[in-house]
Amino acid sequence: MNRVFAFLSVLLIAAFALSACAPQAQPTPEKIVETVVVRETQVVEVPKEVQVEKTVEVEKEQTVVRLSGWASSPSETALLESLLYRFSVENPDILVKYEPITGDYKQALLTSIAAGTEPDVYYMDIFWWQELAKNDVLQPLDDLMASSGVKKEDFIPALIDAFTYEGVVYGIPKDFNTLGLFYNKDMFDAAGLEYPTDDWTWDELTIAAEALSDPANNVFGFGVPADPGRFPVFVFQNGGNIMNADFTDTELDSEAAIGAAQFYTDLRAFQIGALPSDLGEGWQGTLFGKGQLAMVYEGGWLIPYLREQFPNTKYGVVMPPAGPGGEGNLIFTVAWGISKNSKNPEAAWRVVDFLTNEASQKTVLESGFALPSRTALKDSDYLKNNPNSAAIFNGSFNGARPFFWGAVGSDVNDQMGKAIERIFKEGQAVADSMKQAAEAVRKALADQ
Amino acid sequence: MATRLNRAKWNEAAMGYLFTLPWLFIFFTFIVFSIGYAFYLSFTKYNLLSPPEVWGLEGYRRVLSDELFMTKALPNTFKYTLIVVPLQTFISLVLAFAMDQKLRLRRVFRTIFYLPSVTSSVVISLIFVWLFAPQGVINQIFRLSVNWLDNVNTAFYVIMGMNIFTTSGTLMLIFLSGLQDIPTSLYEAAEIDGADKMQSFLYVTIPMLRPVIFFVVTVGVIGCFQVFDQIFVMTAGGPLDSTTTLTYLIYKWAFRDTTIKMGQAAAAAVILSLIILGVTLLQRRVIEGSGSSTA
Amino acid sequence: MATGTQSFPKQAGQPDWIDRLEQFKTPFFYAILIAWAIICLAPLYFTLVFSLKPVENAYTAPIWWPTPFTLANYDTVLRSFDLFPRWLMNSTIVAVVTTALRVLFCSMAGYAFARIEFPFKNFLFNALLLSMMMPGVVTLIPKFLIIGPGILRGGLEIGSLTIPTGFNMIDKLGGVILPHVADAFGVFMMTQFYKSFPKELEEAATIDGTGRLGTFFRIVLPVSQTQLITLALLTFQGEWNRFMEPLLILRSPENFTLPLGLQWFRGEYYTLYSIVLAGSLFNTLPILVLFFLFQRYFIQSIATTGSKEA
Repeated sequence: MNRVFAFLSVLLIAAFALSACAPQAQPTPEKIVETVVVRETQVVEVPKEVQVEKTVEVEKEQTVVRLSGWASSPSETALLESLLYRFSVENPDILVKYEPITGDYKQALLTSIAAGTEPDVYYMDIFWWQELAKNDVLQPLDDLMASSGVKKEDFIPALIDAFTYEGVVYGIPKDFNTLGLFYNKDMFDAAGLEYPTDDWTWDELTIAAEALSDPANNVFGFGVPADPGRFPVFVFQNGGNIMNADFTDTELDSEAAIGAAQFYTDLRAFQIGALPSDLGEGWQGTLFGKGQLAMVYEGGWLIPYLREQFPNTKYGVVMPPAGPGGEGNLIFTVAWGISKNSKNPEAAWRVVDFLTNEASQKTVLESGFALPSRTALKDSDYLKNNPNSAAIFNGSFNGARPFFWGAVGSDVNDQMGKAIERIFKEGQAVADSMKQAAEAVRKALADQ
Repeated sequence: MATRLNRAKWNEAAMGYLFTLPWLFIFFTFIVFSIGYAFYLSFTKYNLLSPPEVWGLEGYRRVLSDELFMTKALPNTFKYTLIVVPLQTFISLVLAFAMDQKLRLRRVFRTIFYLPSVTSSVVISLIFVWLFAPQGVINQIFRLSVNWLDNVNTAFYVIMGMNIFTTSGTLMLIFLSGLQDIPTSLYEAAEIDGADKMQSFLYVTIPMLRPVIFFVVTVGVIGCFQVFDQIFVMTAGGPLDSTTTLTYLIYKWAFRDTTIKMGQAAAAAVILSLIILGVTLLQRRVIEGSGSSTA
Repeated sequence: MATGTQSFPKQAGQPDWIDRLEQFKTPFFYAILIAWAIICLAPLYFTLVFSLKPVENAYTAPIWWPTPFTLANYDTVLRSFDLFPRWLMNSTIVAVVTTALRVLFCSMAGYAFARIEFPFKNFLFNALLLSMMMPGVVTLIPKFLIIGPGILRGGLEIGSLTIPTGFNMIDKLGGVILPHVADAFGVFMMTQFYKSFPKELEEAATIDGTGRLGTFFRIVLPVSQTQLITLALLTFQGEWNRFMEPLLILRSPENFTLPLGLQWFRGEYYTLYSIVLAGSLFNTLPILVLFFLFQRYFIQSIATTGSKEA
């Protein structure tokens, strides 16, 4: 018995050793010619393809920085590549290797961290990044920031604070998005309605949704997905919150949250709002483009999507209508983090610093994808000329809170989505459903 | 002489290990070690980022007090098994009898029945998602407007129906070969003893098929308890967890949730395996037990 | 079984209704067969019909025949969408390599268990039988860790040497292939086969002075053809359709296998369902062709699985 095991463990070790000997991608001094397709983006939001051929002389002293992010669309990837190209011109001593991840980004990142092969610099979503900080796999950034004179105050406070854990900054927000009320101009014209304004309230939203709905033809006024990335806006607008200030308890069963759920689910009960799945789609953005939903809450990401998929849909964007409790909105953001395993944190920092400096952020802003995290860009000309993007940028100053619910965030999201779904699909009473969700969140908090 | 014999023996042993080496390597790495490691993980808190941290039975406590596990995944899995296994066994048995009647076009039927089984679970699921879409073919044929896969009352049954549809062909072939293996002499003997058709069916066919029935039911139970592909593709466990099964929940905990719960998922996997082993053994006892009482 | 010799209670003639039922038996069984045949064919028929209709018509009547007719979806699948041929290629690589290795390794091990005396043979064989009872889900997480990141973060450090504890094969086809190149059922099946296999042929070879290895590869393997094809077909079908492991291991669309790719495509381009349908038929076609070519072996392979417990 023992002999067999001894024999097998030798075998196992040999196998692992063999796989260890397999040639790792070592940066060797060589001359490589890379062809990079760079799409330069212009103020008019039309990407133009430019073929750039660059010859990179890879020298021994050149530091390699590996960088990863998800690739949500080809044009967004091209935007990042053009920024990185600019960086490589300005910093010839650093070679940035961009390794975009398609598919499940978080899973891929965690697997590479577990294997110890993670990139030096990577995207971190506000929603789960604390998991990384808690497990001590991130490089603290305070000293690095000080080394190049970057201050916390340069960034929108809500954003940089969201990437601070126990007083230490671990991520530099690269950009952000909020939700805007997208409305279909043709449908408003056909119904003889005035276009929405930034001063709208729930009442006007309801009245317009009713006028725009035509259930017999599968056309509805407003999209009400059971989506934890939309519903909280209504809770905020009703004067409530999802979690308490220090994330130790949930407020999903507060009167404000129950009232918000009532309003939200009533929209569908009165057939003036619809779930995307009611209309056979997974995402309300598609239905908005098709003209089956007249109004939806979506972020800046819908702008390039509509441009590419539904170029004929005429639409406008305003800030979400205020509720009885005032304005409310959600902030979605992503930051650059640096791995604690990075052999060259200084070089990695220079990349991060470059990607989040004012010039780079201006490029991002002008692409129309997302909004800059630096306060200095608040008064840029671009926002003055692009009311749709401005509505989404300004949303961040009007009752907006980060899309983050503390350590059990995924449970909170799960429960919120299910609470709404239960009301929709099982006809559960609104208050009961919200209370059930709150109890489940409390249990998750206790189990932490 | 003795040394030569030993040497021959030694050579023989070396040959034995040489021949079994590839299998042994896979077996010890991916089965023996993996099972051991799964047990170890089930007693730990583990999230991929930090090393596993032993916390005893806490993982099991969490699994057994988890609402999703106790009120959805566990009952759903049993419900799925209890509906699918009897139906697919019954249908395939009936089909096998029909095929055993030496009717014409037997080969054609056999090929047609086997078609759903050669189609992969993912492909057949994708096809069913489309067939059962709100504007899909099923609603068009029956002039309905049911959102089958987004309705808590229908989604799970669509998946069950699909599974019965895909497995019955294979199971029918297994039964058919079982039926054809029954020696005709037994039927002749029964006839001599004065048995009518019904009696020879009850007293010859069924007892002779018992091992095959046991096999079909066992395979069905093991498969149903671990159903995953269809759930993943068709509903991702929804709507409202009405199609969340144990394997899907284990996958969700280990690979999907924002806070990765690998230890807890391993505990759930151990529990599921024990359930499967238990049910298989119980079943063997029931089927063999009833066998000895009638014979 | 004592049933055969048992005497049956004599009845005073068969009841009439059984006789009357007898005459309806044949039409009744035909009805069953035809009904089930329709159920089996319908989904594939509709798939075929709609894969021949334009993408905009994925949910539009008529449902019974492909009007308007187009081959555009097949054109997309085969030519303009370049990921699709890659998925086909990846699936082929995974299925063919796994099948070839499994058939070889299982027959080697089966031969050893049937013919060669070596220490712990019975113990190992019992362990093999036991492992066939273990549900696969229990090893899901450890398997993923061993193939991918390893069970220890960053590897095992012995002095200055770092030995990885995993194969680091995430997003590689090898990671999907490796754990399946041998399996308990295959070894069991081949062992049973070689046990019933006449020894004379091998003995003749041994007298000729051919060694064990030579005997196995030159004499034993060629004559076990039928059994090898049966095992190969079983394996190929399973690997061609495998989903859960590729789902966990493969990450980039260009490395996907066909089922994974189709599922991904559906999520990415959900308005293009007709293309998914066309692709689905491509996933089914190779197995169908194999089925027609080797129908006899397929039936036998199923009979084999059926008698495994019996």
